[in-house]
Amino acid sequence: MIDRLLDAARRQVDGGGADALRRREERTAVAFEAGRLKAAGISEEAGLNLRVLVGGRMGVAGTTAAAPDPEALVARARASAELGDAIELSFPSASPLPQVPTFFDRAANASLDDLIRMGRLLVERLARPDCQVNVAVEREVAETAVGNSAGARGDYRATGVAVTADVTRIAGDDVLMIYDQYVGAELPGDADLEILVRSIETRLEPALKVVTPPDGALPVVFTPAGLAAVLLPLEQALSGKTVLQGSSPLAGKVGERMFDSRFHITDNPLIAGRPASRPVDDECVPSQPTFLVRDGTVGGFVYDLETAARAKTRSTGHGRRGFFGKPHIGYTNLIVGMSPDGVGARHAVPLRAPVLGGELIADIADGLIVDDLIGVGQGNVIGGSFSHPVGLAYRVQRGEITGRVKDAAVAGNAYELLKRIGSFGTDGRWLGSRWSPSLLLEGVSVARR
Amino acid sequence: MKDRLTAAVKQSRADYTEIRVERTWSSAVAFRGRRLEAATVSEDQGGFVRVLNKGYGWGIASFTSLDELPAMVARANELSRAIRLDEPIRLADTRPQVADAPLDLDGDVRGISLAEKKKLLEAYNAAMLAVSDVVVDTQASYRDEVSEVWYASSEGAALYQLRPEVVVSGTAIARRNGSIEKGLESIGLRKGWRSVHGFEDRFRVVAQRAVELLDAPRVRGGAFPVILDNELAGVFIHEAFGHLSEADFVYENPQAREMMTLGRKFGKPVLNVGDNGAAPGLRGTLPFDDEGTPTQDTPLIREGILVGRLHSRETAAKLGERPTGNARAISFRHPPIVRMTNTYIAPGKAGIGFTDLIRDIKLGVYACGAFGGQTMLENFSFTAGWGHMIRDGQVAELVKDVVLAGNLFQTLDRIDHIAGDFTWNQMGGGCGKGGQFPLPVTEGAPHVRIEEALVGGDV
Repeated sequence: MIDRLLDAARRQVDGGGADALRRREERTAVAFEAGRLKAAGISEEAGLNLRVLVGGRMGVAGTTAAAPDPEALVARARASAELGDAIELSFPSASPLPQVPTFFDRAANASLDDLIRMGRLLVERLARPDCQVNVAVEREVAETAVGNSAGARGDYRATGVAVTADVTRIAGDDVLMIYDQYVGAELPGDADLEILVRSIETRLEPALKVVTPPDGALPVVFTPAGLAAVLLPLEQALSGKTVLQGSSPLAGKVGERMFDSRFHITDNPLIAGRPASRPVDDECVPSQPTFLVRDGTVGGFVYDLETAARAKTRSTGHGRRGFFGKPHIGYTNLIVGMSPDGVGARHAVPLRAPVLGGELIADIADGLIVDDLIGVGQGNVIGGSFSHPVGLAYRVQRGEITGRVKDAAVAGNAYELLKRIGSFGTDGRWLGSRWSPSLLLEGVSVARR
Repeated sequence: MKDRLTAAVKQSRADYTEIRVERTWSSAVAFRGRRLEAATVSEDQGGFVRVLNKGYGWGIASFTSLDELPAMVARANELSRAIRLDEPIRLADTRPQVADAPLDLDGDVRGISLAEKKKLLEAYNAAMLAVSDVVVDTQASYRDEVSEVWYASSEGAALYQLRPEVVVSGTAIARRNGSIEKGLESIGLRKGWRSVHGFEDRFRVVAQRAVELLDAPRVRGGAFPVILDNELAGVFIHEAFGHLSEADFVYENPQAREMMTLGRKFGKPVLNVGDNGAAPGLRGTLPFDDEGTPTQDTPLIREGILVGRLHSRETAAKLGERPTGNARAISFRHPPIVRMTNTYIAPGKAGIGFTDLIRDIKLGVYACGAFGGQTMLENFSFTAGWGHMIRDGQVAELVKDVVLAGNLFQTLDRIDHIAGDFTWNQMGGGCGKGGQFPLPVTEGAPHVRIEEALVGGDV
């Protein structure tokens, strides 16, 4: 299909060039609601996305039609190009692709009964009096093919499995919800599911008691989940798009030390067993690791073909596209933490059951562990300032977790806080496509009601 | 298409079968700074089948290949039969509707060229950029769609709906010496091309505000009397209360049901709240929901007392209440779940204005506009676009980073004054729940006063 589409494009775009993506996905999912298996579903979806260059202008078109007409799709892309801005974009030529395992037979062949069995195991292990347990299990197989008029081709199959569980406890007007997930390219083993259970348990038990929040500028441990508010500004600022646009506070800072010297961020699409891994991006650029922050120093930014062309640099292989709209920048696996090396297999091995607080709380006289903040992503993210009420947080006093705090808000500036990191936790883990340990950050504003 | 659906439903061997097929035509134009990012036309289409058998669970299939419709009905039936249930799933009775319900397209967007849409957006984008040199970046986007939705069920429902949608939005980013602020404007309606003209001033104003915010101090954190403007009051009622009124939160959970018992006091007698999917032309408006139930105006809080909640057919049956037309799906890729439509705080007495609300406030915060909001069960957070301090009954200096946080029960009960100046928000935002985002919804409210609320900021 890709070849037919590129042929049709070649006849119509008069030497300008084209690239395309075809993806086919099929998914099976089961859902347990309040401990009961209530629904099972499948979904099948296929679509095409085409980009053309006509007279130095770019246009795109997409479709989910079952039997798409290549000529009509090209015509639609040409119409889009007529309005487009001029761009000097060149498509990458054919080159060898790196090897990365993305397809796992057990995940691909998992039956409905396999998914139900995993869900039941979690429901049973998480059941508690006065608690509601919801579990969802999903497996997916996707086939992706990309190609361009410069002769580059890539295709691969990938599997993905997501298991999510939440436990809700309502006592009077107090609502407590603890959530966790397993996400991988391979089916989780019982040990992985056990880690998920333990991860929920270690956060549920100390949460049953509600204590008064502290107040002031305090040491705060951000768990891997709680770190979202601190890392989101950096994720935006390290995108070549915001750099190009002049809105990134990190623009022009490559080679400058902006963070704690032990702090690193790497994007790596070549990690075995991660659903975001792939040998080639959605624009035919071979995958490679990108060092974004090294020893606290800004190493570079992520680019797709278009932003790279405009910024007069090379694509880092971060082009991503859906069926509709034009390609955009997307991270793959983001590794955040202390060690710049071994950004590979080490992160794929099953991890031990986590310790809440990542063994960072022993020296805290009074502070917080923050696992979830409410409203992350709202407001003026890229500037680095954040201020959020806590969704799930614990008070730490004299090195011990004393209970859960409510009605408190946490505020700070990501760039300031990451200049001096207290310590890195021992609890590094994957959360979706981001790997990080807990971080102890000093002088975080905590306000209580 | 209707006949294909009816035939497929007839062939189904399941006790209950419903099919939804959608074909969506959409176009989009986007600017980033002075550069056109993209101008595209898309066509998306696909189907959704859901079946139920007595004593078994839901079997669900979604697909883009419509030729597979009969096969998908059979697959969904197999999936349903793989799930045995002790307590059967029941659906509340509704009269099966047979209707063609095309909404007014108000200037069919399919007949307008991409070039004209680009010209319109270019003008709004230029209005933002012209404000000042410190407006370093803008994002402006235009998106429209016309969605055709066919629905048929084995109970005899057969519906055709034509749903238009148009959204124009812009973000102005101002930057000076490392400090960055933004201003946001957005217009979103279930209407068409005729309804999106003449908004240059609104885009100019948000860019000016982004510039002014560069010099504004951060609001000081703490507990204050807070006045919400119409837009933020609407977002507040959606986030803080609306989500808990969705019956799927309570129907399988005895403790949650107790917390949300009808008749419970939620606020002072000034407080009246509802959800109205039948209000004409708004972003959350629909003739029928995605289970074929007609939409309606559903009272949720009347004079401070909880009187209702939002239902699908399944949650209504479980709680012995009536479906309200709130089962919605963002597309054929998803099952319908309980969602809001147009949620509102009803106006207070006519003639009560903003000045009446602030007159006796010595020190407070006037929180305006909405960057967004999120609920985590009984806790919520919402971010105002900007704010002003209120000093001695007067609106005083501009402040930034106004984030309001709180507990639903305490905060609703602290609403002590409601003005008579009701307006519907006409923003283009969307609501997210259960992986389904963005669902078109809107809110409406007058100015609202909260005696005391927690404002996040510098400590």
